[in-house]
Amino acid sequence: MPELVDIRPLLAVLASLLCAGAVFTVRRSARWRAFWSLAAAGIKFALVWSMLPGILAGRVYAYQFGELLPGVAFGFRVDALGLFFALVSSTLWVLTTIYALAYMRNSHSLHRFFGFFALCISTTVGIAFAENLLTLFVFYELLTVCTYPLIMHNENLEARRAGRKYLVYTLSGGGLILAGMLAVYFMTGTLSLAEAGILDASIPHAWLLAIFVLLIAGFGVKAALMPLHAWLPAAMVAPTPVSALLHAVAVVKAGVFGILRTIYNVFGVDLLRDLGYAHWLAMLAGTVILIASVKALRQTNFKARLAWSTISQLSYIVLAAALLAPLAALAAIMHIANQAFAKITMFFVAGAIERATGKTRVDQLAGIGRQMPWTMASFTLASLSFMGVPLMAGFVTKWYLSLGALQAGSGIFVGVMVLSGLLNASYWLPMVYQAWFRPPADTGANLVPVSPMMVVPILVCAGYVILLGIGANAPAMPFSVAEAAARFAFELKVPLE
Amino acid sequence: MIDWPHWLPLLAVLPLVGGVLTPLLFHRLPNAACFWAASIAALTLAVAVALLVRLLASGGFGYAVGGWLPQYGIELRFDEIGALAVAAGFIALLSLVFSRHYVARAVEPDRAPLYYALVLINLGGLNGFLVTGDLFNLFVFMEIFSVSAYALVAMARAPIAALAALKYLLLGALSSLLVLFSVGVVFAMTGTLNIEDAAVLLDASSAMPAGLALAGLATGFAVKAALFPVHFWLPDAHAAAPAPVSAILSALVVKAGVVGLLRTLELFAGGDDLLQPLLTLIVWLGALGALGGALMALVQRDIKRMLAYSTVANIGYIFIGLGLATASAVSGAMVHSVNHAVMKSALFLAAGAIIHRTGLRNIDDLRGLGRRMPITAFGMAVALIALSGVPPAAGFVGKWQIALGALEAGQPWLVAVLVVAGIVVLAFGVRVINALYFRPPARVPVASAIEVPASMWLPVLLLAVASLALGLAGTPMLAFVGPAVQSVYGTIP
Repeated sequence: MPELVDIRPLLAVLASLLCAGAVFTVRRSARWRAFWSLAAAGIKFALVWSMLPGILAGRVYAYQFGELLPGVAFGFRVDALGLFFALVSSTLWVLTTIYALAYMRNSHSLHRFFGFFALCISTTVGIAFAENLLTLFVFYELLTVCTYPLIMHNENLEARRAGRKYLVYTLSGGGLILAGMLAVYFMTGTLSLAEAGILDASIPHAWLLAIFVLLIAGFGVKAALMPLHAWLPAAMVAPTPVSALLHAVAVVKAGVFGILRTIYNVFGVDLLRDLGYAHWLAMLAGTVILIASVKALRQTNFKARLAWSTISQLSYIVLAAALLAPLAALAAIMHIANQAFAKITMFFVAGAIERATGKTRVDQLAGIGRQMPWTMASFTLASLSFMGVPLMAGFVTKWYLSLGALQAGSGIFVGVMVLSGLLNASYWLPMVYQAWFRPPADTGANLVPVSPMMVVPILVCAGYVILLGIGANAPAMPFSVAEAAARFAFELKVPLE
Repeated sequence: MIDWPHWLPLLAVLPLVGGVLTPLLFHRLPNAACFWAASIAALTLAVAVALLVRLLASGGFGYAVGGWLPQYGIELRFDEIGALAVAAGFIALLSLVFSRHYVARAVEPDRAPLYYALVLINLGGLNGFLVTGDLFNLFVFMEIFSVSAYALVAMARAPIAALAALKYLLLGALSSLLVLFSVGVVFAMTGTLNIEDAAVLLDASSAMPAGLALAGLATGFAVKAALFPVHFWLPDAHAAAPAPVSAILSALVVKAGVVGLLRTLELFAGGDDLLQPLLTLIVWLGALGALGGALMALVQRDIKRMLAYSTVANIGYIFIGLGLATASAVSGAMVHSVNHAVMKSALFLAAGAIIHRTGLRNIDDLRGLGRRMPITAFGMAVALIALSGVPPAAGFVGKWQIALGALEAGQPWLVAVLVVAGIVVLAFGVRVINALYFRPPARVPVASAIEVPASMWLPVLLLAVASLALGLAGTPMLAFVGPAVQSVYGTIP
């Protein structure tokens, strides 16, 4: 695989860092703040997408500068998996920024909010492009630091509680990752993520088990893997764009991405298959999928239901990765995008309804489809995707995940998929039904009009959910990147199918 | 110019003479005294940098005082450990600049020239301590920086200052006595006071007198470094002292204890049987100090006491590293000594700026100050995050290296200690950050506070930026201290 020195990975991280600096200094002018915020998202978007053709042609872009610590470089390396994550997050960032600019209008401390908002995308892309585990960890910890002010934005008691919980969980997770990373370095003398596995079977099994538990539990915190998930529902107090960011794009996906890196690049599928640890992880993830769905069913707050659904959906990715089958790997990587677009649609909808009507509970939605038709149509599409209805993004995941489960000889997880689809239907469909087929409780006279800057991102995201479902194989879609990443992890030369 | 041999004695002589002259020249002119002291400190820093340049070019070098050759006369040596003098000069200079406005309020006006004199004398004592190759001189310079430190603590206006200084003095005097006694024992055994020479001659196999000397030196320096459980003088002294003095004490003076221990290990390099139990002991004490100090910091309400306990915790880290005796751990501990100095002085100066403006030192009272004093609050937040070891800031380098050393030494439980202590450190950092940024003001002085003058915020900002930047310089710094590790410990894995 030809590895090219290219400055774009660095520029992609740096661009929004500098724009964030500009946002912090703009105190008064809302226009300039919007300009710099959009610049942060837009430049990054362009840079990341510009690398797509090269990666599809089998190239790898790398940029290194110096050593952070003896033997561990500080560097970026764009491979298929990293690029896929970066594509998803940078695309969604543009939409979230537009949405946030409208949603957060009239809020306080906006320079702080949008400054840290821009910093978050910088660190997320840093995670995606990290050349080694230490670089990844650096950005992973910085992401924690940068999201904290966003969760605390409301500055009230509830926000402080949520913020404290978030920090305790994520920083403890960071500590576990640090310990696991030290053990990896001690055993192998490298932290590179460029190989399909740097550990090998000659290392004592007690160490391998310790490393696996430390890294998976550490990344599992941000991936909201039960029982390490409690921060996520609590963090719902944050403004809606932040919830979208935490739940769909940056934070949880950083955790999931870390787990994928651990499985595919630190251990490697062959070693993990011999060790058998992944089986236990798959069992755990399967259980989480079901339990979290049941919990979601019992929530009455809109955003809380979304939060529990997120916990369930993230475990799809963990489960798919832990199956260690090529087609399941494809599902794992694809679901990073599928879940992100569908979930962010729902968060945007929740925020738009809250802004328009002040309603935050799922049982208040009667007739809202008639009042906000475009918004609720998007919501319907996203919920169909979560149920796994064909032509939607979620179906692609379920299809490949089930195939992968059969490939791995664990047919039980096909049952989990079916059951989870039913559970998803049972908490999304009643909301859809209420919105469209029930008469509205009020006349809608006091409806606050929603800015087009909020509606357009919703429609774009919902459009993507369909695109990912029906056009996954189209040339400009990220499907081929995901496939390349899966092939690399399994060291296959031929296409998967 | 760089090779001029007399730079080395100047490193100590310049601030000592400058300090003695200060009250004579500027008896009633505190502002002039400040300017003078800062100039002397800047010159001292320049000398230290010149020495560092020569060290980088051609390795360690010595100087025979008065032309008397080593073994017979007094020898000064400049090695990688002595290069701490650069950090000392830098931090002392910034603290002096910071002092100009601070001291006018915190110290009786007619004592201000004395204050500047004592800071310079303290710096001179420290520099002398760092570069001397002679055991008795080690003791003398230790007394110089210790006595000036007692006086500086007592100089604060707070009623508790005198008491804190007394406590500091009693413990300090005890440790000085132990060191003096042990130097005597070594002299009796070897007939020489030169450290290198004595290390060769010392018959470490005779357990009794050598062991006594080792115990005396180690205990004496442990008290100076505030290693758990002989740390209890530190929180009072560092919290009561004027803020710039707290910065110097926490950043530099306790590190002199660390350097003293390194010199002791150098002296006893031949006696593995004696050293091994000591190293094991300081690993344990370091671990207890790291956890205990961090937890005690967490429950403090006074911001300066919190920072003082955090120093106890960081000294714990450093001793873990020294005790593990693997190359990565020891070099990590040495680098962390410098990094901690920078971060902690940033924090104490920022706390000083806040106290100077508002008179408040209770963490809960600082609510809302982030908007009123943006630069100071920013400096404090950055330094707190760096201190907790979030990569790639300065605190991470030492943490990583020491934890790696723990794995190399087969003691993985220490990794857990370091990780847990790091999280606790961040927890109290977050408390302060929350108060500064995410809560509405609760106290009148906060609502009317404005940013401090540039002579106060600039040192804070410089040190805060340095505590980020030093994290990126981990590799060269670790490579730099490599030779010192070899000279203290011999060849270790």
